[in-house]
Amino acid sequence: MHSKDMTAATADRQAELAAVVRAHQAGVWRYLRFLGCDPTEADDLVQETFLEVLRKGFEDRSPAQTAAYLRTVARNRLLMARRKASRAPRAVDLEAAEAVWAEVAGEDGLGDYLVALGDCLEVAVNPRMRRALELQYRDRAGRAEIAAELELEVEGVKTLLRRARSALRDCVERKLGR
Amino acid sequence: MSPPNEPKHDELRDRLMDQALGEVLGREAPPDLSDKILAAAQRESFTSRQRKERVMNGSKRRYWVWGLCAVAACLLVGIGFAMMNPDVRQLALGPPEADEPAEAEREFAKTAALPQMAARMGAENAEKTAESEASQKSPAVDPFYLHKSTQLANIRAPSAEPSAPPPPGQVFGRPLSEKPKSVGDSIRAEEYWGTTPEGEGPGKGGDQYGHLPENPFCTVKDHPLSTFSIDVDTASYANVRRFLLSEGRLPPPDAVRIEELVNYFDYGYEGPEDDVPFASHIEITGCPWKPQHRLVRVGLKGREIQGEQRPASNLVFLLDVSGSMRSPDKLPLLKAGMKLLAEQLDEDDRVAIVVYAQAEGLVLPSTPGSEHAEIIAALENLQAGGSTNGGAGIELAYKIAQENFIEGGVNRVLLCTDGDFNVGTTSQGDLVRTVEEKARSGVFLSVLGFGRGNLNDAMMETVSNKGNGNYSYIDGVTEARKVLVEQMGGTLVTIAKDVKIQIEFNPARVAAYRLIGYENRILAAEDFNDDKKDAGEIGAGHTVTALYEVVPVGEPVDAPSVDPLKYQAPVEPSGDPSIRDEMLTLKLRYKEPDADESRLLEFPVVDPGTDFGRASTDLQFAASVASFGMMLRNSQHSGDATYDAVLEIAASATGPDVHGYRAEFLEMVRRAKALASQ
Repeated sequence: MHSKDMTAATADRQAELAAVVRAHQAGVWRYLRFLGCDPTEADDLVQETFLEVLRKGFEDRSPAQTAAYLRTVARNRLLMARRKASRAPRAVDLEAAEAVWAEVAGEDGLGDYLVALGDCLEVAVNPRMRRALELQYRDRAGRAEIAAELELEVEGVKTLLRRARSALRDCVERKLGR
Repeated sequence: MSPPNEPKHDELRDRLMDQALGEVLGREAPPDLSDKILAAAQRESFTSRQRKERVMNGSKRRYWVWGLCAVAACLLVGIGFAMMNPDVRQLALGPPEADEPAEAEREFAKTAALPQMAARMGAENAEKTAESEASQKSPAVDPFYLHKSTQLANIRAPSAEPSAPPPPGQVFGRPLSEKPKSVGDSIRAEEYWGTTPEGEGPGKGGDQYGHLPENPFCTVKDHPLSTFSIDVDTASYANVRRFLLSEGRLPPPDAVRIEELVNYFDYGYEGPEDDVPFASHIEITGCPWKPQHRLVRVGLKGREIQGEQRPASNLVFLLDVSGSMRSPDKLPLLKAGMKLLAEQLDEDDRVAIVVYAQAEGLVLPSTPGSEHAEIIAALENLQAGGSTNGGAGIELAYKIAQENFIEGGVNRVLLCTDGDFNVGTTSQGDLVRTVEEKARSGVFLSVLGFGRGNLNDAMMETVSNKGNGNYSYIDGVTEARKVLVEQMGGTLVTIAKDVKIQIEFNPARVAAYRLIGYENRILAAEDFNDDKKDAGEIGAGHTVTALYEVVPVGEPVDAPSVDPLKYQAPVEPSGDPSIRDEMLTLKLRYKEPDADESRLLEFPVVDPGTDFGRASTDLQFAASVASFGMMLRNSQHSGDATYDAVLEIAASATGPDVHGYRAEFLEMVRRAKALASQ
């Protein structure tokens, strides 16, 4: 093979790998967060996951296969990191978590799920629920603060938020057919 | 068996919803790690390739070394033998021939010792036995062999006896505690480990940073005026980010220019309302790392220029395509960045591309900015190779810029390089003189730095300063977008040049002060009114922030004292009651981009006594960035600052943070804290 062809092939390969990284890195990060990593740990493990995969001469056969493979590598990296730090895996059962992720989150690393959630926030919850969600997730308000603003008991806030999340979950999973 | 605290399937779905809500409502979005991953992958493959090459080279080299050693050993042995004592030579060569006298002696001793045996066994057998006995005879009973052994003992030190230590300065060989040197030891450590040490100056390997001694406290009695040139560069911040987030190590202190860290962020200052090119905003509050002190912030905001008002631009991209630019964080990123910029240009603009490596060359003659496809194709075809002749490339780029000069427009050379100007007649002095002269003719120069390994940070900053331009460090596509798309106006369009700040402190209110950062922008007091003295430029929409730590009168001053003057009377504070309450007077000088004469602005300032907790969010954030910079520089003035304090202040002052830059800063502080504790 001429060196020019080799250079072109190397460039194509690099472009292909770059496309895989760009397509899946956010999904792997979300998956690791779902498995209980904090953001910094997720950052590190995402990088380690891709480096390991790229090192092994990986082939991008289909988005679904690639996503599943990346999740497996990421999970193993997480277990190794936890063992190295002499920490037991956190309370998340990794197998059960993988099953839920594969079923609900889909191969695009939660992308469709988030889009559906955006729609459901408009239609599936009432304004009071919406406000409670905003206070909790956007403004990081505690239950007492939410209760004060919505003129509820603290226990009532818990119930309201649980109902809101449940309604959203039903709506999202219905939209996605999962 | 499942762990007892295993969440159920349903709970996991709730957990997923919780995470999704955090992302949709709470903006806990995943970071874009693509550039980091790809750069790390490339580095890894580069390093492993180098290791392979090194092993190959090492094997070849080893054969040569062994071959040479063998020849040298043969020669030495030959010479040694020629010079040896004859006895030793005999020992080494074995028993002498039978016709030698020693052999005759041995034959005699042998036959004399065994007369009875010879008689009993017969002459033939006795002779055979005698030969055999002679061959097994102990040297200890043989005077001849004893003599040879003694000679041997004199040559080789007896191993059973401890050897005396060699005299000082005559130690040969390698102590056993040391690792053996291998052939690969000649390879630089950074090549092996994939990291780069910081260079120490011209001609040395690694990145090169100018030494920045920290500004000390100055007493107002001795130094009532503080004068400096503004600086809108942000390169140091991007470089520090790369050290912390991509490479996982603390930056060298001289890579941290605090003013560039502070100026990386947009502070929401109001723009000017009249015909002045920029507005100034002063705020005074408590100093978070030294509560007895006050913190003064001088903020400038350049006039915004909307896209359609942007003047026509005549741009020359001067691109370094030397071999050192081959890695993915250099030329590929450079191409991506230039493409982003090219896409913003229109038919009023012009772009030319000049490259330099072994020979400079015009890759794209000056072309209308609307010809995006042609510009992008020219960029796509660039290949890295050869060594750098930056000086010749700069000459050609300026020539093209002059030939296509747009009156009243932006005429700018954009130099994109890792700063490796390593071939040709280029000296920093020559380059500086060239860009200074060209800036006077109306063609400005901005510098975009790329990559790591031989980043000549000090030189790029100097060249851009002298070229009336700015210096940015591009560590990823996101930064390229920030500099070349979001802040394109500021990067390209200069709205005021030679902007200088002078502050006169009131000795009735201030005992001492310290300018935080701007170490290499300090001017002499008399330079303020000297229009021939060059200073920094401010681009459209740019914000500039300078912070002073001020010691109020009555507080102890950490500054070297000067003996009382013998021949002069001390200067007394003004007794004018109308100015008694003023803390300082801010004076600004600037020139319009095409003017030679400066204009003066002056603002007296009174300290309202605001606590730090009541300061504006922007000032709180800027103070946290400055204290972070001081910690990274191991500043002796960092007072009570800790990484936790920086985090606490910055986290409460992120404001809207539309682009996530402040959130990223928090990440950098966390990483620095973790690294510092290791």
